[in-house]
Amino acid sequence: MTSAAEQEEFLKLVEDNKAIIYKICNSYCPNRNDRQDLAQEIVYQLWKSGKAFSGQHKFSTWMYRVALNVAISFYRKRKSTVQEISLGEHLPEPEDKDDGTGTMEENINRLQQFISELKELDRALMILYLEEKTYKEISEVLGITETNVATKIGRIKEKLKQKFLQN
Amino acid sequence: MEDSELKKLWQSYDQKLEEARILNMQSWALNLKSFEILQTQKAKSKLNSLKWLKLVIILAGVVWVTILLFLFFKSLSYQNIFFTTSVGIIALFNILAILLYIRHIVLIYQIDNSENVIDTQTKLATLQSSTMNTGRILWLQMPFYTTFFYSPALLNDSKFWLISVPVTLLFTFFSIWLYKNINYQNTEKKWFKILFGSPEWTSVNKAIGFLKEIEDFKKNL
Repeated sequence: MTSAAEQEEFLKLVEDNKAIIYKICNSYCPNRNDRQDLAQEIVYQLWKSGKAFSGQHKFSTWMYRVALNVAISFYRKRKSTVQEISLGEHLPEPEDKDDGTGTMEENINRLQQFISELKELDRALMILYLEEKTYKEISEVLGITETNVATKIGRIKEKLKQKFLQN
Repeated sequence: MEDSELKKLWQSYDQKLEEARILNMQSWALNLKSFEILQTQKAKSKLNSLKWLKLVIILAGVVWVTILLFLFFKSLSYQNIFFTTSVGIIALFNILAILLYIRHIVLIYQIDNSENVIDTQTKLATLQSSTMNTGRILWLQMPFYTTFFYSPALLNDSKFWLISVPVTLLFTFFSIWLYKNINYQNTEKKWFKILFGSPEWTSVNKAIGFLKEIEDFKKNL
């Protein structure tokens, strides 16, 4: 049993980071119904692992590790039942036009679609890159060298640019 | 599209999520009051039940090996040389399998989601794929189930050479063939799908494929 203060503090941390948790869920779980289960699983694992958080790494490094590990495991478990991602499922309310090259929402969906098509580990790499994490932090979250991070990001970005150009 | 545009697009995603009220805490199952219930549910998680399943298998294995070793020591004599050798070798294979299962349990205890992604996913995939390795090794004991009734007296019997020995050779051939061929490269082959087409094996195959992916990911190519 934990104290109300601890729960309150944890809830605040989740609240502060809910957008990234959702984005990770969305990237690894195209099925809307399963997405809620994944979100719950991530929050539960954060809660569980939080007691063991040593402060050896930054809080965000620890949080990304837990969230991505849970999401990848969840994705791999459900992979066989995953269906093709429909573009419309990512964001429910179409609005806002951008600079004329297409709606902002379409671009976000296209980006999300591209990320969903990447392999599990490349997907994690790209999410961290887009979240503007440093190469050092990305390497700590994923467990590969900074040079490897740089090489892989360069390659994925190139593919992404090509994808946007094609559309 | 430039880097800055990409990142800006990604950041605008946050705003969109807020606007769409997707991140509303109540609708997003983040109510901490339900955590006590969740913790009870998670105690019955797959990994936990896998741990118990493996412990039961180890226990059954220990009982089986104890019986085999009892028979081995009880039958130590020249007359029983084939029986003793067969039982001894079968016991060795089973001891090896027990050790592998103990390793699986150690791996389960070592899995920590707050470790880096590569380490955690490697452990998880190794755990899943190890079923295949244990299975491969256990196939090798197959020929020894055909030799335990051999005896020195049978060596002069033509039926022994015409029936028993070819059967043993056939089992030996198949067990070695299976040992060599039960691997990820053959998972798409028809014989593999017939033999190991169950959902458990499908996840094992996927885990092995994922381990390969992890290895490629670790390389700076």
